[in-house]
Amino acid sequence: MLRTDFLHLSDCFNAQKSTVRVPDIDPKYKIAVLASKQDHCLFDLLHRWQEGRLPVDIHCVISNHDRPVDNHVMRFLKRHEIPYHYLPTTSGNKREQEILELIEGTDFVVLARYMQVMSESFLKSYGKDIINIHHGLLPSFKGGSPSRQAFNAGVKLIGATSHFVTPELDAGPIIEQMVERVSHRDTLHSFVVKSENLEKQCLAEAIKSYCELRVLPYEVMKTVVF
Amino acid sequence: GNLLGIHLFQCPDAVGIVAKLSECIASRGGNIHSVDVFVPDDAPVFYARSEFTYNPRLWPRDMLRTDFLHLSDCFNAQKSTVRVPDIDPKYKIAVLASKQDHCLFDLLHRWQEGRLPVDIHCVISNHDRPVDNHVMRFLKRHEIPYHYLPTTSGNKREQEILELIEGTDFVVLARYMQVMSESFLKSYGKDIINIHHGLLPSFKGGSPSRQAFNAGVKLIGATSHFVTPELDAGPIIEQMVERVSHRDTLHSFVVKSENLEKQCLAEAIKSYCELRVLPYEVMKTVVF
Repeated sequence: MLRTDFLHLSDCFNAQKSTVRVPDIDPKYKIAVLASKQDHCLFDLLHRWQEGRLPVDIHCVISNHDRPVDNHVMRFLKRHEIPYHYLPTTSGNKREQEILELIEGTDFVVLARYMQVMSESFLKSYGKDIINIHHGLLPSFKGGSPSRQAFNAGVKLIGATSHFVTPELDAGPIIEQMVERVSHRDTLHSFVVKSENLEKQCLAEAIKSYCELRVLPYEVMKTVVF
Repeated sequence: GNLLGIHLFQCPDAVGIVAKLSECIASRGGNIHSVDVFVPDDAPVFYARSEFTYNPRLWPRDMLRTDFLHLSDCFNAQKSTVRVPDIDPKYKIAVLASKQDHCLFDLLHRWQEGRLPVDIHCVISNHDRPVDNHVMRFLKRHEIPYHYLPTTSGNKREQEILELIEGTDFVVLARYMQVMSESFLKSYGKDIINIHHGLLPSFKGGSPSRQAFNAGVKLIGATSHFVTPELDAGPIIEQMVERVSHRDTLHSFVVKSENLEKQCLAEAIKSYCELRVLPYEVMKTVVF
C-alpha cells in the first residue's frame, strides 16, 4: 500500500523520480564492486560491509588484476562466499560483455579504483547508476596519476572525488569531495598515502548517501545531496 | 632588552650547515628558539628558517648583517635574508585592485589593527572610486595615496605602475583583474603575490566561481601564489576551501569565495613577511 500510495503521488505530479524505501524490510541494495590492482578502496568497503556499516548485499567482485588465494582480499571474499571474477583486460578487449552478464540484477555498481574506462554502450546497456572514486579533486587532475600531477603542480591541498559515471571520463555529477593539506614536507609517496585515505572515506560516504536515498542528479553535472 | 631575529636560508646541501648557523648565532650570545630545516629527498638543496633572540648591544645590526653575509658566502647561498622585525623598516608594499574591493579592504583593516606588518606605499586601481567610498575615506584618513589608472585592452598602464611601485619590497594583487606582462615582471624584478578566486589548477582565468558552480563541485577554494608570466600558474603559497552544496546559489558561491580570498591572501602575506616562504623547484613553495 505504501508503494501504491507513493506511486499515485508520483503519477499525480509526473515525477521523474519517486523512490520509497523501508530499510528494515526492503531487500538490501545488491551491488557489484570492480577493482584493479589497488585494493585499498575495495578492502575498506568490504570491511565496512562486514561491520554492518554498508547496508548492501555484495553480489560479486570483478577485477582485471589477478590475486593469489592467500591474498587478504581473496581470503575475505572466500570466507564470506562472495564470488571474485578475474577478467584481464587488454587495449583491444575490455571484457564488457562478460561484465554486463556478471552485474545483471544488481541495483548499482561501484568502481573502487577500477582503472578501465567504461564505454558509452556499456553504460547504456547496464542502465543503472555507477559510482566511481577519482583520486583527485575534480576538475583538477583528470585522467591518470593525479597524485603525481598534484605533486608536480605544487598544490597545498589534495583531494578525492566520488561521482556518477558518464561517458565522459571523470566528468559525471559529483557526489562528494574531500581534501587534505599537503606541504613541502610531503613526498610523492605521502601524497599517495593521504590520497588513498581520502579515497576510502570519500567513496564510502558517497555509497552511504546513495543507499540512504540522499543523492539525486541535478541539472547536467550536479547532484542534490540531502 | 632582547630582540627577535629571523633568518631564512637556501643553499646547496652540505654537511655542517646547521652547525655553522647555530655557531654563528650562539657566538654572539643569541638564543635560538626554533629552527625549521628542510632538505628534499631528491635534491641536494638546504632550506632553513631560524628564529632567535639576541642582545643588540652584543650584536649590533650591522654586525648581524655581515655575519650572515659571511655565512651566505661560505655556503654559496641562493638566499640568505635576516630580519629583525622590531628595528628593521617594515616591508613597503603597493596594493593593486580592480572593482572588487573585499580583499583590499580586508588588508587595509588588518593593517590598521597592526596585524599586517607592512607599510602601504600606495594603492593602484583601474577602477574609479568616489571620494565618499569607504575605501577612499579610509585611505584619505591614513594618508595612503590612491592612483586611478584606467586600463584598456591596448594600454595596461604598466610603465606608470612601475614608476609608482618603485622602491617597494613586494606587490600585492588584491583581485587586480589585469594580467601583468612578462616585461613588467622582469622590470619590477621583485615578488608579486596574487589571490586567485579558485582552487588552482582548477578554474584558471575568469569567473572561476561561475565555472565551479557549473561544474557541480562540492568544494570551492582560493589560492594565493607568486605571479609568473603564465596566468594563474606561479608557485602556490596557500590554498583554502569551503564546502558548497545544492543549496548554494551562484551568489552564495561568490560570497563564500570572497571570504576565502580574504583569508587566503592575508595568510600568504603574513607568511611572506615572517620569512616563511621560499620558492621551491619550478612551481612549488616551501612554507615553514
